[in-house]
Amino acid sequence: MNAPDPNAFSLDINDPEDAELIEYFLSELPTRVDTIMAAFTNDDYQGLARIAHQLKGAAPGFGFPQIGVQAAKLEQQIKGVADPTESLETLRSEVDQLVSLCNSYINPA
Amino acid sequence: MSDLHPNPHTDTPPVVLLIDDSQFVHRLLDARLRSESIVLLSAEDGKRGLEVARGEQPSLILLDLDMPVMDGFETLRELKEDPCTKDIPVIVLSGMNSSQDKVAAFDLGAIDFVTKPFELTELRARVRSSLKMSLLLRMLAQKAHIDGLSGLYNRPYFDEKLRAEYDRTVRHGQALSIAMIDIDHFKSVNDTYGHPAGDTVISGVANLIMRETRSFDISCRYGGEEFALIMPETEPQQALQVCERVRMGCEKLAWSRHPARSVTLSVGIVGVLDGDTVSMTPEGWVEAADKNLYKAKQQGRNMVVATGIDGQPIQLAKAG
Repeated sequence: MNAPDPNAFSLDINDPEDAELIEYFLSELPTRVDTIMAAFTNDDYQGLARIAHQLKGAAPGFGFPQIGVQAAKLEQQIKGVADPTESLETLRSEVDQLVSLCNSYINPA
Repeated sequence: MSDLHPNPHTDTPPVVLLIDDSQFVHRLLDARLRSESIVLLSAEDGKRGLEVARGEQPSLILLDLDMPVMDGFETLRELKEDPCTKDIPVIVLSGMNSSQDKVAAFDLGAIDFVTKPFELTELRARVRSSLKMSLLLRMLAQKAHIDGLSGLYNRPYFDEKLRAEYDRTVRHGQALSIAMIDIDHFKSVNDTYGHPAGDTVISGVANLIMRETRSFDISCRYGGEEFALIMPETEPQQALQVCERVRMGCEKLAWSRHPARSVTLSVGIVGVLDGDTVSMTPEGWVEAADKNLYKAKQQGRNMVVATGIDGQPIQLAKAG
């Protein structure tokens, strides 16, 4: 995964309202990452799909469109198959990609 | 809405209710709609959303379709089935982008659709235009019930509410009083000082009635120079007190077009007590109140005549 370019933010960090939203999203993100990992570990695919769905809808609004795209892929991977456990490796890979993408924002190199 | 009051002057910002299970969306819209001079209320699931909608009567609801437990479609259906929320416009928010969902939401009564992730200028524009539409619809609905000259409710609204309050009284045995009010010698005001002066008297008396009646009384212009009050949960004794206040208030009004000529009112009231059996039709009730009005005229005008539904005269209780 390439390190995200801060210029990819569709929001303006110098605008107070935008900055407030970016800050809020980043402060919430670690909890969401924990939830994603816990849901995957516990085979809670419904819960996993739900948080992916929420990130898909909301992340772009907070200036993180790439998280939105990856979350959409994860949601599709769960909802698009009859039994997510049958393609567990693909699912694991989508989860990993989403988690590492989120982590790259939480702890920028 | 059936309980709008005449002449509402609402300067308060419109209330918008957001029903969405994602805290992110609440936070996002809270920030992004801050400049819109609205009050944003939040509910994180459909059930809570219905409660808030019923209690707060928002001007607009933003509703997420994809929620756990009670989804947006079900919430929308319940909103549209409940008489007390069915007229609140709903914009549906959803990540689902299929036209099937949009059509389903419109069929259930949504007025607009916004897809997530939000395009912010579009969302703001849609919120604004829905609020404008909702305000116009409310004004229109209200206008259909308001008499143009007096600003009181009109005759069709009186007939509608009379039936509703009558049914309520018959079903629950609650008190109810009906008062008919007529301006004394109105024709001679018109003939002597002209119709504009007559119009001023009508609207002046209407303002007085609005001021002296209680918020839950339904004040109507019945026709010409006659007014009617539906007074829910009001025994004839209390109705008599209210109408006496109106009658005395009118006596004291000063009229710039004819300072030497005062205007007085005659009033007829018929009411039932809590638990009384109602032995007449709504039309008969109005007729009986009209008969009492006629008695007041015969006995010299500027007077209130009240009876129970059994015809028993009701006297003003002495203070103290």
